Amino acid sequence: MATTLSEPEAEANQAEQSQLPDASVLEEKVPDCLKLSAKTTICVAFVGLVFMFLSFRPVWHTDVWGHLAYGELVWESGKLPKTEPLMPLSAGVSFVDSAWLTQIIGYTAFEAVGVSSLSFLYAATITACVILLLWRFQTRTKNVLFSIVGVLVFMLIDWMQLEIVRPQLAGFLCFVSLFTLLTAKQWRRWFWFAVPALFALWANLHGSFPVGLAMLAAFAVGRVIDVLRRARSFRVSFSDQRFWRYFLLTELAAVAVLLNPYGLRLYAEVLTIASSPNLASIVEWHPLEIRMFQGKVAAIVVLALMFVYRMTPRRVSFVEIFLLVGFGAAAMWTSRMILWWAPIATYYLVVHLSAVLPRRKSADGEIEPAARSSRWSLVAVMVAWICFGFTPIAGKLLHGRERDLNTATSNYTPVAAVEFLNEHPPQGQLFNTYEWGDYLLWNGPKDVQIFVASHAHLIPREVWSDYMRVIGNSGGGQAILDRYGVNTVLIDYRYRRGLIQSMKRSDNWRLAFDDNDRAVVFVRRKPIL
Amino acid sequence: MKSRPISVLGIIAVQLIVVATLAASYARMDTDGSIKLRQTVTGTTTYPTVKIEREKPLWIAPLYDDPEVVSDAELAAVLKKIRPNFDPSKMKPNHIEHALRTWRADATFQDPSVMSGAKMVEFLTDHGKYLASWGQDVEPLLLEQEEGVAIRWGRETGASVHHDHWLACLTEAGVPLNERLFTPSQRDMTMNDAVQEALRDQRLDERETEWSALAFGLWLPPTKTWKSTDGRRMSFDMLARRLMRGHKRFGVCSGTHRVYSLMSLIRLDDEFDILSDAVHDDVYAYLESVRDLISVAQFEDGRWPPNWSEGADAIKNPLNDPIHRTVISTGHHLEWLAIAPKDLHPPHEMIKLAADWIIADITSQSDEVIKARFTFYSHVGNALALWRSTRPPDFWRKWQEEHPFVPAEEKETPNPNEQPAADKAPIQEPATGH
Repeated sequence: MATTLSEPEAEANQAEQSQLPDASVLEEKVPDCLKLSAKTTICVAFVGLVFMFLSFRPVWHTDVWGHLAYGELVWESGKLPKTEPLMPLSAGVSFVDSAWLTQIIGYTAFEAVGVSSLSFLYAATITACVILLLWRFQTRTKNVLFSIVGVLVFMLIDWMQLEIVRPQLAGFLCFVSLFTLLTAKQWRRWFWFAVPALFALWANLHGSFPVGLAMLAAFAVGRVIDVLRRARSFRVSFSDQRFWRYFLLTELAAVAVLLNPYGLRLYAEVLTIASSPNLASIVEWHPLEIRMFQGKVAAIVVLALMFVYRMTPRRVSFVEIFLLVGFGAAAMWTSRMILWWAPIATYYLVVHLSAVLPRRKSADGEIEPAARSSRWSLVAVMVAWICFGFTPIAGKLLHGRERDLNTATSNYTPVAAVEFLNEHPPQGQLFNTYEWGDYLLWNGPKDVQIFVASHAHLIPREVWSDYMRVIGNSGGGQAILDRYGVNTVLIDYRYRRGLIQSMKRSDNWRLAFDDNDRAVVFVRRKPIL
Repeated sequence: MKSRPISVLGIIAVQLIVVATLAASYARMDTDGSIKLRQTVTGTTTYPTVKIEREKPLWIAPLYDDPEVVSDAELAAVLKKIRPNFDPSKMKPNHIEHALRTWRADATFQDPSVMSGAKMVEFLTDHGKYLASWGQDVEPLLLEQEEGVAIRWGRETGASVHHDHWLACLTEAGVPLNERLFTPSQRDMTMNDAVQEALRDQRLDERETEWSALAFGLWLPPTKTWKSTDGRRMSFDMLARRLMRGHKRFGVCSGTHRVYSLMSLIRLDDEFDILSDAVHDDVYAYLESVRDLISVAQFEDGRWPPNWSEGADAIKNPLNDPIHRTVISTGHHLEWLAIAPKDLHPPHEMIKLAADWIIADITSQSDEVIKARFTFYSHVGNALALWRSTRPPDFWRKWQEEHPFVPAEEKETPNPNEQPAADKAPIQEPATGH
């Protein structure tokens, strides 16, 4: 006998089933603000790859090591030195430590995590710049491809500068942050606080804040000229709200800089560093030349800029002319200034290029907004985690794995030679390759008396001249080494083979260490005591 | 969030903030900061001035009156040889400087052909006198600077040979701080302007710092630190470390002036505490090592060779140097030993031997040789006077009272002990050196 459900029961079941969600369609519960588009996910992946790439870059052999040593000194003494404390031949030379905060951050991070922290800080700083520029390019062009290409062009121009781990990168992040704020489509009230706060921080991180002030001033002056050109009236141009905004921001930023341990003196110091005659011997202070890699890339970008400015339908403002020409001229004067020109140049290149090239628009003429989904958010988080998980800092934090110093540092770092010096501490004055002074300060024997380090502007002129004569192997070098009482010499193969050969031939010196491709250590046969 | 328009009140408020913050920041700046800022803003150089608390320079008194080292007669014979008797045409500042530091500013001579201390000071401090000797063809010796007087030095004709040698010699000669300097344009300058200029332009790592260290030591104490024009903080500690640095053979006169300057700093430190304890100890140890080296580097006849810094090797491997180089090292060692405490001395016999050798050498030399090597021999006269706890002008004044000047006796007689010709010829003032 067949049994059938009674009718009322069947109705009740049907009502129950209609209340349950349809199992074939998952309901989206992720808040809209956390949903990402495919384009954003591509950007995240790009940023993640940049971060991962930078994290594996070897730590540069100059600068950073010296800054760690200064950081240690400031941290442990609790005060800033008034005269140069680490280079004995610069004793008594007035010293304003404009990067003290970066040095302390670097030192404490290194003490806590080790060499991986340097890779992380380096990668994080540049990645932050990349994120900001990518965001700004994207908001201005609505084109991911342009934005990513723009960032890559920026990195290509600046690569020679970005390779070096130093406090200037912190200053550069401040610069990019400021540029991002100033090129925002809409002015926000919090910018009034953010910009001065940024400068207060910048002045303690690195002495490059004048470039930020110059940029603000360029925005103010450019704006007033733009309005004057259109309105043909001084009254109108000087009553322009945006002009006043930039002008007052410049003033507030200039005042915020005074929130540093040296006050007004910091201005005097940072503005006169470039006048040190010693810097004329250092390549990155030379004028930008086409034979330099960064010079070639910059030249191509300039040609591209000329093309887009010829073709662009956008209005060209005086602000961008001032910025491009001003920072460009500064880079021509000294190649290290290209660092600041690159983000500006790529920004205007991308913005005008996107205006020149045709793009996909909706029927109403607007660019279609990208669809957002939590799936892309999930993909983005996973990609970000993967990119982080493979980095040295993750290895250290998650697995306790520390990188070997040899692999963590550039292949020009004298790791083994300095280990040798630690095992055989030099007696008295050491003569060292300029590029290795910093590494010696940090990893060398205690109280090692280095000859020079990367703070070249603090080295007395006559010491620097003597250094150049010895390192240039131009004659009279042995007498100089005698006069300074140098008993140990640490020099590199890369640039100083001639000097190495001369010293090998000398009866006064004994080859004590030689790794055949990177560094040699000579020790005086009869030490000068 | 849309930004509100900027009001006039807002603009004024920002200006007030800017002015107040700048004023507060300027007010709390230290002197160094103010100077640096002023230099940056105005593009000018600020010249620091060191306050000097004395009108006359210090003098490091000798410690011994030892007739065993040099008798009165021997000292007189030596001093007679090195009287400043120069041809008035094209007088070398280097010679006058040496003569002045030996004979001092108050030296007087009965022989009218010999320059008095005052005349020597005049030659070195009055451009007119210098001009009278050299004519218009050379650059002035006194160079007017923006805020002081520098001295032309180097290898050029008519220049002082070493940096700050002019200053050190006038200082050792006792020339006061308010001594007028008659510069080419007759600006109102004094010795103080020369001292201040030297303090400003001294470079710690320049080739020779012996003279600067000595002059500063005799003027500045109890001041221990000062600043150069480039803002570098200098100190006697730094000068002492610089003087000790490098191989001992380096430095003027086979490295002996470094030793003399270091010994002077130790003596000054004993009285004025211008060195830190650590540096004092280092300098003392350095001088002890010099003592040890010369204790084993003396030839049997008493001379110390120019390569004394090699110790016993200097005897084993004697240099074939001209004799005047040996005069330099022997005379200069006797000079610093005269102001050194006994525990820095080599055995007393060695000092006597050295004095005997050098007295015999100098008294056997012709006037022509002495004139040509005046700078080296002048140190001998000073050294021997110090060993009798006197100054050459004081001794000579007394000596002249007992042995008045007789022109006829001044003619030189040939000396049977004259050195072989190889040692004497050709007689030339070295291009560099002392």
